[in-house]
Amino acid sequence: MFKLNLKIALRNLWRNKTSSFINISGLAIGLASCLLLLLYVSYEWSYDNQGKDASHIYKVLTNYLDINKRIEGTGENTGNMAGPKLKEDYPAVQAMSRYEWGGPKLIANGTKSFKKRGRFADADILNIFEYTFLSGDRKTALDAPNNVIVTASTAQTLFGTTDVLNKTVRFDNKLSLKITGVIKDLPGNTSVYFDFLMPWSLYETQFDWVKSPSWTNYNWETVIKLDPSTDIAQFNSAIKGMMEKNHPHSRSFIFVYPLNKLHLNSTFINGKSSGGKIEQVRLFMGLAIGILLIACVNFMNMATAKSERRAKEVGIKKTIGATRGSLISQFLMESLVLTFCSAVMAIVLIELTLPLFNNLLGITLAISYSNFYVWAGLVAVVILTGLIAGSYPAFYLSSFNPIQILKKKGSKNNGQFISLRQILVIGQFSFAVILIIATTVIYQQIRFIKDRPVGYKVNELVEIEQDGNLYEKFDLLKTRLLQSGAVTALAQTSSSITRDGSSFIGMEWQGSAAADKLITFNQIATTYDFIKTTGVSLLEGREFSPHFASDSAAVMVNRSAVKRMNLTEPIGQTILYHGEKRTIVGVFDDFIWGSPVQSERPMVVAFNKGWGGRVIMHLNPANTTAANLASITRIIKEINPAYPVDINFTDRLYADKLNTQSILGVLSNLFGGLAIFISCLGLFGLTAYSAEQRTKEIGVRKVLGASVTSLMKLLSLSFLKMVMAAIIIGVPVADYIMSGWLKSFEFHTTINWLVIVLAAMGTLGIALVTVSFQAYKAAKTNPVQALKYE
Amino acid sequence: MIQLQNIEKYYANKGMKSYILRHVSTTIRQGEFVSIMGPSGAGKSTLLNILGMLEEPTYGTYEFMGENVVSLNERKRIELYRNHIGFVFQAYHLIDEMTVAENIEAPLLYKKVGAAERKSRVAEMLDRFNMVAKKDLFPGQLSGGQQQLVGIARALAAQPLLILADEPTGNLQSAQALQIMDLFRKLNEEENITIIQVTHSEVNAGYGSRILHLLDGVISEDLQVVV
Repeated sequence: MFKLNLKIALRNLWRNKTSSFINISGLAIGLASCLLLLLYVSYEWSYDNQGKDASHIYKVLTNYLDINKRIEGTGENTGNMAGPKLKEDYPAVQAMSRYEWGGPKLIANGTKSFKKRGRFADADILNIFEYTFLSGDRKTALDAPNNVIVTASTAQTLFGTTDVLNKTVRFDNKLSLKITGVIKDLPGNTSVYFDFLMPWSLYETQFDWVKSPSWTNYNWETVIKLDPSTDIAQFNSAIKGMMEKNHPHSRSFIFVYPLNKLHLNSTFINGKSSGGKIEQVRLFMGLAIGILLIACVNFMNMATAKSERRAKEVGIKKTIGATRGSLISQFLMESLVLTFCSAVMAIVLIELTLPLFNNLLGITLAISYSNFYVWAGLVAVVILTGLIAGSYPAFYLSSFNPIQILKKKGSKNNGQFISLRQILVIGQFSFAVILIIATTVIYQQIRFIKDRPVGYKVNELVEIEQDGNLYEKFDLLKTRLLQSGAVTALAQTSSSITRDGSSFIGMEWQGSAAADKLITFNQIATTYDFIKTTGVSLLEGREFSPHFASDSAAVMVNRSAVKRMNLTEPIGQTILYHGEKRTIVGVFDDFIWGSPVQSERPMVVAFNKGWGGRVIMHLNPANTTAANLASITRIIKEINPAYPVDINFTDRLYADKLNTQSILGVLSNLFGGLAIFISCLGLFGLTAYSAEQRTKEIGVRKVLGASVTSLMKLLSLSFLKMVMAAIIIGVPVADYIMSGWLKSFEFHTTINWLVIVLAAMGTLGIALVTVSFQAYKAAKTNPVQALKYE
Repeated sequence: MIQLQNIEKYYANKGMKSYILRHVSTTIRQGEFVSIMGPSGAGKSTLLNILGMLEEPTYGTYEFMGENVVSLNERKRIELYRNHIGFVFQAYHLIDEMTVAENIEAPLLYKKVGAAERKSRVAEMLDRFNMVAKKDLFPGQLSGGQQQLVGIARALAAQPLLILADEPTGNLQSAQALQIMDLFRKLNEEENITIIQVTHSEVNAGYGSRILHLLDGVISEDLQVVV
């Protein structure tokens, strides 16, 4: 019986090639989209969730209080004292590690030097995260200051092999470190990522300020591993007073939060976690299920549309002794066979599109075929899809009463005002309309943000790290680069122009109140030519100049700062900046340094020769970019041979700011498009079928003198009505959802009614084309052909 | 074998009852070959459907092999189909997706007959109806008469006691029709299978042993055919 059912299912697929193709490819695209999205969701979901102890790892966070002791903000940083103290005082803390930012650092094997992500961390970190050691001893790997652990791919890059234990690498062009461990590469979804790991003790010998104990120098991050039996609420209330006790007036307290939840729930309001990226992940999960459902609906619709033909089969089978159960299992078998074909096609599709998808999102997703759970999950999805898609036809068709079918050739729509099939189509298209509108609005919002004036010449600047000799020999670099004609101006800055890097509180000025000390100001330290290089517009005064010796004690402030400080005559005012007296010499217009969807903080650009880090250059527009870059690379290499030259375009760095929105835009575009495509595929199948069924009616009408146009109208109208209904339902829903989404941005575009009208027309247009193609074909056939049957 | 008592069938339409069958009472014994005749709309097919339990009478009792089968549940009814009743339709109603052999095999599958037994019975049927060469063809590839032969073979495969045939030759040419009728007579005489057929044709009816004439839902004549 099973074999026969399978055989007949395959035969049915083959006999109805068009509808099988529509079914299989629609379902395959749906499945592929769903699986891709789920792959992405599981990537985000398993962030920091590797290893069996992942749920016992907590990050120490800090809540900052305002002057009224209300929680003003929550940060992921701590000083260097909180961690050790926690470990000392609380036995529940099994392990503790501090670590720093972990930015690109120079590591070299002889003359082969690379900038890789290096991180300093306490040796205890090896007891927190379960790194897989390929060689070396976990217990002692970070015990001495000159030790380093490298990942397999770092070892590969440096030495061409992973067999590098006890070999020596050169760090930062000045220290020799011994490799005491090689570990498997870390997955991309790890927040404490690194290419090589060095002990905290080395960090302390490098910088005195790291050694000096501090509770409020919020420069580092701290993770701890807690005993599994710890009550977190209790633990948090126990450690709440710690900051106050050890560092009075710090106006902050620490608490711990599970690391594996932090990535998705990193927004804290009033010290309580209130979502974050998880909303986006949930959205994508919804999208994944939605697309799969659309594809399933196609299948159901096609199957029920064919019910008249299948009904006869059901009737006959019942009279020769088939039970309802055996019919249901037959129909389910058919849908499972079809789903299986789709799954195979979906996997092929995924493999073909995954590189593209990864490229779009800037992450690395892959299906690990050796993993049992992947297969189990896949089989589960396929079976579930098959059952969902097949259940309605199976139960619907098998319920037919044999005599009604055999006598009357199928029961017509028995007086129902609206059939389930119509509801399904309307639901499908409503979803599609919502997706089109959402996609357009997201796109417009991204455009809106991108089109906001950045405030500096974002397209003409490049930046480099101020590594090694570039700090000591900055003046030489400047002279050489200007001489070469590759750049028209350059400036040393403390951080990138594209990303807010530093802020401070405690600014004082004439007329400032005590509470004003708590206002957060952004800060950049620089020397000469900052304005000239970046093209930030100067509103009043001048920028720092070598002609004024007094400029070493000068600052510039932005427009928001003037407003916030309530200064009527800003130029010449003296302020207290980090406790130093400084004079305001210039006021510049706000430029986008922080989030492009929020207004800028007040900002101070201070003169400070000793605080560098980046060099910003304005490329000479008279030359080609390639020529400019070549000269810059040559000159830098001459001055600073130990380091690789890594030139960053500011427009690309700036684009990274919009990463989250871009991903959302890309995904909604892609899957919105696919949803519409699948829906149209379904509509195509339905019209094709309805045309086929009504061949006789069309033939008769043609013989009676109906024109092609009137026949097309006859065939298309009912479908177009459904699409219209879908638009009427979809538009307000989309409007509601997207208005809510837009409200989460301080600067946002508004939903343009034109967009909605265009989306509606677009959907209707696509549907019309789909339907009328079939209708035209049916209406043009020779009536004799149609009437020959029966 | 079959006992009908006061069978009535009507549809209520806007308060009016439109009768299809009225006071139909009759007994059909094992081994009879009954033809139901009458003009269009007389209720012939309805009566046959009631006999086949495809329709329920509005009123009256129907005993099949001593068991009251009015409003029998679906499971039991299907049990009867599997074991005792074979249907032959005017429009053949073969399953288009199955080959000739599979069509014949289908009722045996539902009856849960073992594989070896199934094979031999299908082979026997094919042999008997001279269709061995056509066993892998699909119904669409056969002529009407051949399709009807497959239909009958399918009905016989489960070795029923009763064959219900609704105008089995209605779509066939007369030569083919005679062939089918000969077959029915042979089945009736040699294997003692009870046959009830609905027909318009006097000739066809002549093959049977008894004719029930229906007129406006009432049995107007019950004739024994004298050979």
